[in-house]
Amino acid sequence: MSASVQRRPGESILSNPLVGRALGCLALSFVLALMIGKQEGTQQDFGLAFRQAVLGPRILWFLLIGVLVFVLLTFWPRVQPYLNRPGIRPLAVGGLTVVVAYALLKWTDSTAVSDGKFGTLSDAASQTGTLAPLARTFFTAPLPWVLFLVAFAVGAAAVVIRRAVLSWVGAAIAVLAGVWAWYSHSLVQSLLGSPDHSTGALVALLGFLTIAAACAATALSAEESANTRGFINGVFAWRPGMPLVGVALLLGLAGFAIATWFSPGNRNATLVDTASMFSTTGLSPLSKAYLGWLGYVLFALSLALAAYAAYRRDARLGWGAAGLGLVSLVLNLVALHDISAVGASTAYDGATGAWQNLGTGGWLACATFLLLAGAGYIVATAGSERGTIARTKADIAAGIGKIPGKSKALILFVLAGALFYPPMATPFWQKVLVSEIGIYVLLAIGLNVVVGWAGLLDLGFIAFYAIGSYTTAYFVGALPIQPPEWMRLSPLLCIPIAIIICLIAGVSLGAPTLRLRGDYLAIVTLGFGEIIRIVAVNNPGNFTNGPRGAFGIPQPEIHLGPIHIDWGQASLQYWYLLLVIVGLVILAFNRLEQSRLGRAWAAIREDEVAAQATGVNTTRVKLLAFAIGASTSGVAGVFFASQIGYINPDNFVLNNSILVVAYVVFGGMGSLPGAMAGAAVLTWLPEFLKDQVPAEDRQMWIGAVILLMMIFRPAGLIPAKRRAAELHGLDEPSSAETTAVAANEGMGATK
Amino acid sequence: MRTRTLVNVAAMSAVGALALTACSNSTGGGGLSSSAGGGGGGTTYTVAFEGPLSGDNAQLGINEVNGVQLAIDQANAKKDLGFTVKLLKADDGGDASKAPAAAAQVLQDATVMGVVGPSFSGASKAVGKIYGAANLTIVNPSASNGTLQTLGFPTWHRVVPNDYAEGPAVADWMAKKFKKVFVVNDLSDYGAGVAGAVEKELKAKGVTVQTAGVDAKTTDYGAISQTVKQSGAQAMFYGGYDAQGALFAKALTAVGFPGARVAGNGVKSSVFTTGAGAAGNGWYFSCGCQDATVAPSAKDFTAAYTAKFNTPPSTYSPEAFDATNILLAAIKAAKAAGTVDRKSVNDQVSKTDFAGITGQIKFGPDGDLPAGTGTVNLYTQKDGKIISLGDVSKAS
Amino acid sequence: MTDFLNYLVLGLTRGSMYALIALGYTLVYGVLQLINFAHSEVFMSGAFGSYLIVGMFVHDGQHLAWWQVTLVMFLGLLSGALVGAAVAWGLERVAYRPLRRRGAPKLAFLISAIGMSFFLSQLAGKLFNRLSQNQFPSYFDQNKAVFTIPGSGATVSRIQLIVIVSAVIMMVFLDRLVSGTKLGRSIRGVAEDAPTAALMGIDIDKTISRTFIIGGALGGAAGFLFGTTFVFSNIMGFIPGVKAFAAAVLGGIGNIRGAMIGGLLLGVVENLVPTFPWNGSGGWIGLQWTDVVAFVVLVLVLVFRPTGILGERLGRAA
Repeated sequence: MSASVQRRPGESILSNPLVGRALGCLALSFVLALMIGKQEGTQQDFGLAFRQAVLGPRILWFLLIGVLVFVLLTFWPRVQPYLNRPGIRPLAVGGLTVVVAYALLKWTDSTAVSDGKFGTLSDAASQTGTLAPLARTFFTAPLPWVLFLVAFAVGAAAVVIRRAVLSWVGAAIAVLAGVWAWYSHSLVQSLLGSPDHSTGALVALLGFLTIAAACAATALSAEESANTRGFINGVFAWRPGMPLVGVALLLGLAGFAIATWFSPGNRNATLVDTASMFSTTGLSPLSKAYLGWLGYVLFALSLALAAYAAYRRDARLGWGAAGLGLVSLVLNLVALHDISAVGASTAYDGATGAWQNLGTGGWLACATFLLLAGAGYIVATAGSERGTIARTKADIAAGIGKIPGKSKALILFVLAGALFYPPMATPFWQKVLVSEIGIYVLLAIGLNVVVGWAGLLDLGFIAFYAIGSYTTAYFVGALPIQPPEWMRLSPLLCIPIAIIICLIAGVSLGAPTLRLRGDYLAIVTLGFGEIIRIVAVNNPGNFTNGPRGAFGIPQPEIHLGPIHIDWGQASLQYWYLLLVIVGLVILAFNRLEQSRLGRAWAAIREDEVAAQATGVNTTRVKLLAFAIGASTSGVAGVFFASQIGYINPDNFVLNNSILVVAYVVFGGMGSLPGAMAGAAVLTWLPEFLKDQVPAEDRQMWIGAVILLMMIFRPAGLIPAKRRAAELHGLDEPSSAETTAVAANEGMGATK
Repeated sequence: MRTRTLVNVAAMSAVGALALTACSNSTGGGGLSSSAGGGGGGTTYTVAFEGPLSGDNAQLGINEVNGVQLAIDQANAKKDLGFTVKLLKADDGGDASKAPAAAAQVLQDATVMGVVGPSFSGASKAVGKIYGAANLTIVNPSASNGTLQTLGFPTWHRVVPNDYAEGPAVADWMAKKFKKVFVVNDLSDYGAGVAGAVEKELKAKGVTVQTAGVDAKTTDYGAISQTVKQSGAQAMFYGGYDAQGALFAKALTAVGFPGARVAGNGVKSSVFTTGAGAAGNGWYFSCGCQDATVAPSAKDFTAAYTAKFNTPPSTYSPEAFDATNILLAAIKAAKAAGTVDRKSVNDQVSKTDFAGITGQIKFGPDGDLPAGTGTVNLYTQKDGKIISLGDVSKAS
Repeated sequence: MTDFLNYLVLGLTRGSMYALIALGYTLVYGVLQLINFAHSEVFMSGAFGSYLIVGMFVHDGQHLAWWQVTLVMFLGLLSGALVGAAVAWGLERVAYRPLRRRGAPKLAFLISAIGMSFFLSQLAGKLFNRLSQNQFPSYFDQNKAVFTIPGSGATVSRIQLIVIVSAVIMMVFLDRLVSGTKLGRSIRGVAEDAPTAALMGIDIDKTISRTFIIGGALGGAAGFLFGTTFVFSNIMGFIPGVKAFAAAVLGGIGNIRGAMIGGLLLGVVENLVPTFPWNGSGGWIGLQWTDVVAFVVLVLVLVFRPTGILGERLGRAA
């Protein structure tokens, strides 16, 4: 909304900026009223939903929102100082967390309560006489909301008027509410008696504790304004590796003490329970020991070692911690395999197989050990990092210098999540990770080369994905025209062939279009993408099997001497295959970006004529961008085809090409982590929204999210460092608001 | 400084928790719990619907899911099942690549006893094996591709005749009357399938055939109509869906094509009749189905549907309604026989002999309606209404 | 020959709609050097808006006298143009101006427009319906042939005549507007060199806003013509939008007369596919290859003339 604040007088049709702002706010509330509501229109009554949205009394609520926004914007300068008070951001985060927990999350998985969300659960629970009174009281209709609002209001008041007593009262109420919610939830759970993996109560507890912490901070803090960024940097700079140790401590405690390790049927066995379950079975002695005592000891030892190494900044101890962490990780995995395999072989409660029926605990322990090992590694290598290292608090606060190990720590967090989150997720999310998020991340990485690095707008990128898929279908024999017997391949062996074919396709698309610039290139690539799809539909020579597509593409397999791996239907195995592919591609591309070629791409992106003048072979460099992007896309195509087993031309429509471009730009053009994050967020979002808004409205909300993102953060989620550096020079700190604009881009460009 | 450390660590962990929210985990799968904390007694089973609820093909999915919803609401209102039924909507966008995720969503709910869908053949091909591996029964209301029953999906059932059932029958009829036919398809899985079957049969009978394809997303049928007219064909067969058929009908009338117009089951609907208006009069439709607008039970269905959704039932709504009722009957039968699980429900569905509003439904060993049991009927539009001309093999 | 002329008329009808939409792309490109990806939804809104207005005055199956038909047609064009202009104005305010203020990279505009496009198309679906075949009321016999082209049997139907004539009138009007008025001069000035134009006292924001409004009005009117000729739906914009974008590029994007020529040419090429000598049963190039033919023509033109048929200067259009 700050855009409307900055509106300069004389530019709007109504010269008074206040009037313009008021109209803008009213328009906002009007649009919101249109967006939220039921879909009712039919051909018989065309404008029904429209009239309901606008004419009914509900419009008043939305107008109220508009008025509130207007008031907030108008008095923003007066409100702003309060927003820097210590504690206000955690308070807001905590409040939001509680609202999310109340409104969106599930509080139970039990089938007895229809959708498992807080509202239905509290309806059901408040009427049950058998529930303990304390819990029943909590679930009585307005009470939880009242508790939250009181805690939040007291906290907010405390932050604003800075009265210590009030802060402590707010903190107490919040803690009380959080614990009460958690306690009531656990009582309901024991009454319902079904296994529970819902997050609502836990998140609500966390939210309330955050509110309480915010209140406590207000009471204790003597400062007038908070410095959040400085704080975050301070955490990372305090002792390299220490933040990882902290997170590992929390995860490890949850994993070893609370979480489920083995859960066939409805048995939610924690580590202790699991150990006793397997005490008499034929579990290997090592695993038995691990479950019984070794796990705890390893956890404590590696935690202590990593923490001590980080505290002393001792490289040798750091290597020790890294080694111990990795060894523990392996032992933990062995134990997990053993319990699930032994459990399955004895058909314990209907356990189904190795790596099946495992709970979250074991995976949390894995993540713990990985993070501890990573902390050790960061400690060990912190001394050797190049560049200015921020040493003092003043440096950090001023944003000077590099924080040692910060990016490594972030990478390790992401890695731990990527490795050990999926096994904990539901089958649905596992499938989404594999068949949508992962594949589009790979595609976005490929397109980032073309669009982000070389600056060539490609709207037909999905064509190479199609070529990769159809190549696979041909070489495994899933198309009407069969390859000769000696050429039949297993899907994984199609990868190099798909890479070669897509390289050729990329070059043959690139060659005739090299003369074209910018938007001409866009429409030609768009046409190319459509031509590939139409060819697949029209089925010339009965090669592609037309709209019926190719069915029966086998799953990938590896048979190398003693190693036999068969990717079946289970999503997780594909996820790890995908991780390997993405990891290799990232390693290669990371080097590419820093290479001579990467700099040549940057040069032609910024100014092609100048690049040519300085000796860059633009033809070759552009073709290489097309070819490299295309072959990445081809790999994604192979993966897609063999994962899903069936392809048809509908998978390769123009809309998908446009979406991939949107992912790359949304994430941050030219930034590898940005492109990945953009693809991940925008493919995750529709699946998440599925349960939150009517399914058919999802695209509308996604459109709105993309729009808002581009308005308020035009450089994307994670902007590219090089782009920022090219414009600002290396000394200035980059900020989210300012973005890189090449001299010939945007408004006012001259030819 | 220290206090803010505390606060911000808390804030960060809260954000982390939020990030995890979408993904509440369950590897074990939930069991059934019949004793509820006041949430209403009795067992609850779930019927899943998988189909497009968003995207360009959403209308078809909405037609179907409304039919499913109506069947479930009626069953719950009657209270004679002995259990309550819930609906789980799994949106696959009509897209084969999104179907596996939708299937995973269906399968992870242990109360789901059967799935109505997927709406499209492509999505069905992508998930048939997955459902089969979980023993979850599929009762498909609309994916009519003629090869689906041969792909080895163990729990496959389908309440519509496949493309190959109706195509040859109507082609035989056309071969008796016309010597030169223009076959148009909409380049969709269904349209290309049925048009291909007609083309093959016509050629076998010695009819001169000319073919063309028009993408289903086109709205301008001017050029194809002109082409059909100029070919001098005595008849035109259209393999495609109703909305496009209506546009085509208007365009054919606009250019004054003199020959007969014939189409498959996909076109025969109220969407076509209202869309094409007078231009649809005289069109013939082949359909391996009872006349859903004539049968008495179908009239009740039409009334109830219109009352509930404020719009008349459209393509595949009756089929989805029937498919749901078959599933409910199967769950009831499984309950009567002892155990209700996915396998027993699937066995019961295979044994179905059900009088639905689209006809008598009985599945063959491959899960399809057995060839020959359902006669392919011929319909025509007269004065804006679709009327039956009886068995196509006997029609003049 | 008759066949050829029949296809030609069909092509000109479709082409004039493409041309009207393409003008919107080209105008915006001229002043901003940006592709307005949401223009297809401006087109869509024109159809929905004019349907609401026209539906108030006539009912399905009514038969009106010729002057009433003319009046209703005029009303439809006007309301389509107004709604299109309003949506385009809002589009510029929301998806373009804030980004310009922040100096966003060029692709950010493309993506914000794509976001807007998703948003508008699905919002229309939510508010009205998601059926694919909404129809305008039929208040006159659209298909009645109004005249036969002399020397052949080819005919032109009423609706074809109306579409072509109204498109031509609007295009002539636009051409005059851009070449002859003060507003037109400021648009050309901004297109030629925005900073200099600003120094000369042209209000750039206002000019850009008005450019969107003009393009939106044409697109909205095209929405009405399209909806009347065929059907309309909330996703109707995508395919004509892509085609019109291609047409604008074909003619030379940023060039007003180029967009008109590109649109007409693309429409004609698409409809002439059935007359290709190698078409027909067993031939390689059937109707299903229409889009391939269109894009191949586009690529060929661009290979020989990399800036389109007429080149890419809005400023030199007049």
